Amino acid sequence: MTDNPQDKAKLVDEITEVIASEGMIDRAKVTPDATIESLDLKSVDIVMILTALEEKFNVYIPMDGSLQEAKDVKSLIEAIAEHITKEREKS
Amino acid sequence: MADLREGEARAAAGAPSGRPAGSGRVVVSGMGAVSAAGIGAQELWRAARDGASQVRELRTEIPYDGRIKIAAQVPLYEPSAHIEAAVLPFCDPFTQYAVIAADEAMAQAGLGRDDIAGPRTAVIIGTGIGGMTTVDRGLYRYYVQSIRPEPLTVPRIIPSTAATTLGMRYSCLGPTFAIGSACASASQSIGLGLQMIRFGLADRAIVGGSEACVVNGCMRAWEALRVLTPDFCRPFSKGRNGMSLGEGAAVFILETLESALARGHAPLCELVGYGTSSDAKDPVRPDVAGASSAIALALADAGMSPGDIHYVNAHGTATHANDMTESEAIIAVFGDEHGRAVPVSSTKPVHGHALGAGGGLELSITISALREQIAPPTINFLEADPRCPIDAVPNVARKISIKAAMSNSFAFGGINAVLIVRALDHDD
Repeated sequence: MTDNPQDKAKLVDEITEVIASEGMIDRAKVTPDATIESLDLKSVDIVMILTALEEKFNVYIPMDGSLQEAKDVKSLIEAIAEHITKEREKS
Repeated sequence: MADLREGEARAAAGAPSGRPAGSGRVVVSGMGAVSAAGIGAQELWRAARDGASQVRELRTEIPYDGRIKIAAQVPLYEPSAHIEAAVLPFCDPFTQYAVIAADEAMAQAGLGRDDIAGPRTAVIIGTGIGGMTTVDRGLYRYYVQSIRPEPLTVPRIIPSTAATTLGMRYSCLGPTFAIGSACASASQSIGLGLQMIRFGLADRAIVGGSEACVVNGCMRAWEALRVLTPDFCRPFSKGRNGMSLGEGAAVFILETLESALARGHAPLCELVGYGTSSDAKDPVRPDVAGASSAIALALADAGMSPGDIHYVNAHGTATHANDMTESEAIIAVFGDEHGRAVPVSSTKPVHGHALGAGGGLELSITISALREQIAPPTINFLEADPRCPIDAVPNVARKISIKAAMSNSFAFGGINAVLIVRALDHDD
């Protein structure tokens, strides 16, 4: 479904919203090239973000694995989107 | 057993405690384990050595609505075959595991029920949580089913119940308590038992750890932390994505070398070093400095240099952070050459992360590795991660020469505990 650019954009937008609200960051600061460090996202914030994403998208995303490779918002969102897309394809 | 009563006479006579007579060397005279591999330290060792994962489909009494449906659970067994009918109602599974493991350890140590009775035997059994199964079922009954709690709920859930139940079983009157240091509980209990004997506070100690928390509420709580893998636990490997929860107990009988030899018992090995420290930094993130300091303290306590350690049983949880931090800590203390070369395996993909029992199960495996001269493998290993530049003994056990071995435990909250065991020479 993420082959559809509109769906993809919607998904990215929804994930960005969750990162901003759960990470308690100004939505305007959550830009694709912002680094995770610059947003001061700690492991506890990531847990809260992943919990909110589970409730919203019905998908379990572990802390470890692909998420740990993400250095900026763009790659973090991509890693999360990949989990969600895979889960949707399964169901 | 007259020789074992010496300390009691000393205590009764009001003699001051001090360093024990003799060399002050402490040995492991017997060990026992209950794990996902079943009942018995040998069963656990066999699974670890053969890389036979005991992580299976999750089994719960109440249907589980979580997403992680795998764990390393103790297989079903008949408690009444191991524990008397009068005692059993007081035993949450975490106490049952401790009793079964302790009976095995006592038998291997050549000790009967009353042989170490008295004030000179300490009992220290660690647990991360205590009677979690009783808590979980009790709350379900109370809140969901509106049924009164089980009458024996309180004595069953107390974290020190495993220790006090063993004390009653073998009539041990010495210092008896639980250590609750999350995933370092068992290792700290074993280490403190060693120190108490060395410092003359006890002549012998029943030590170890026990945990039984693979139940719905606890599984869901661990899921919430996002550290559980949905598929395979792969410590130190590329593509690792977390741990599998485990459970069980491991119990060890500690005494002085002289005491064991005097009664004609051949100990399993010498418990030669213990180091413990705290990161004092973060509730969940590990720390290189803290882990390194515990490793260095254990070596100093053993009077050993890093080159004397021929095998390390790692904490190796398969979380991204632990495995990087632990690799860095080992290399920081052992040096670049030996740190990258010494076999370091994590057996957690086999028996799961047993939390407060973890360090005990892993010490039991470490002792078997020492005695059989085999480094058990780190299974589910896909490919080396350059950020974990250690030799993880990927997938296949290795025959090596081991004179001394180390077991690491690093807990949430930043508590670190490291133990070192050494083979006894024929002339000891």
